[in-house]
Amino acid sequence: MLNRINRALWMALIIPLGMVTIQPVLAHHSNAGFDPEAVKEITGTVKEFQFRNPHSWIQVNVTDAAGKVTEWSIEWGSPNQLGREGVRPATFSPGMNVTIKFHPMLNGSPVGGFIGAKMPDGKILGKWDAGE
Amino acid sequence: MHTKKLWIFAGLVFLLAPCVSRGQAPSVTSFEKLPDWSGLWSMMGGTVFDTATQTGKGGVVTHGVREHPPYTPAFEKIYQDHLALRDADRFPDVLTNCGVPVGYPRILNLPDAYEFVVRPDIFYIVTENGPNTMRVYTDGRKLPAKEDTWGTYTGVSVGHWEGETLVFQTVGLKGNRDNDSILDRTGLVLSDAGTVTTRVRKINENTLEFKLVIEDPKALSKPWNVTKQFRKSKPGLFMYDYGCAENNRNPADTVTGKTMVLGPDGKPLN
Repeated sequence: MLNRINRALWMALIIPLGMVTIQPVLAHHSNAGFDPEAVKEITGTVKEFQFRNPHSWIQVNVTDAAGKVTEWSIEWGSPNQLGREGVRPATFSPGMNVTIKFHPMLNGSPVGGFIGAKMPDGKILGKWDAGE
Repeated sequence: MHTKKLWIFAGLVFLLAPCVSRGQAPSVTSFEKLPDWSGLWSMMGGTVFDTATQTGKGGVVTHGVREHPPYTPAFEKIYQDHLALRDADRFPDVLTNCGVPVGYPRILNLPDAYEFVVRPDIFYIVTENGPNTMRVYTDGRKLPAKEDTWGTYTGVSVGHWEGETLVFQTVGLKGNRDNDSILDRTGLVLSDAGTVTTRVRKINENTLEFKLVIEDPKALSKPWNVTKQFRKSKPGLFMYDYGCAENNRNPADTVTGKTMVLGPDGKPLN
């Protein structure tokens, strides 16, 4: 019974997330720093989800093969818009292991424009397959 | 006979007096005759007027009908200069530093939610992004004379209803006078002589359409026609406040014009 309730709760949370459409991430400012053609993917641990205006930011720590940790900043839409589409401050919780696709910065800085995320349970948030 | 006419005239004066005393024209459309544009709306399409200019590194590609303004040679040069700066990441959007109204007609070019508030005496455009408010007076007043305007971001708008279509004119726009008002982040600008005639109507239950005729004897060689559409959101959604400076990690460098990306520690990452 408890499992069924848990499953229902997860479905209630995840189904709306899967329906999230990607808004123009950089509507607030010029997006000249990002490469719209390139798609990069990282897997790491969520450090913080800044669910604040004008844009939300996902801070992710990524450890390379040598053990060096780099903190990535992934920029997403306004919390207002995302909130109406089902995203919540707890969507990316600290310590959560996620894989994120994004448009990287042209100059190689550890920053990106959000495309999609693969959540710990395998569900997709945003877009994934087309790499758009 | 004369006495009868006098009584009729006196009766009309009596009936119209309350309107005149409140500064209203008797032609103000009553509430029950106004259309229902309640709820939240979102702009359809990208946040640019001229979708054909979304080229170059860092440009967002959005498909649509080219609506390149028919610029005069002088303003075409300004626009091309802005596009070159944009492609070099040296044309910061004035909104980046949070603090100026978005202005008209750019207020129709924003992401996030919109409200269109219809009242007999006034029509409001309320945008979550910014936030911004635009007022269109529909109480029968006239547009101010040119010497009574001094150029503001959103200008002054006066309109009337033609059935369920709102028609309004906007004057007193500051345009590019102070280099702090653009129409979109490609760098489209108008001059301080720009005026706009706008017609707003529902084209179906879930779509509100704004058709603009923009005239500007300094910037445009002929009237520029622009259409923006808005889709009604599902009912029950909330609109929130929008503190642009709350967590602004993209301020513009005041020296170079480059849009910066700040790390979580506030230091530039680019």
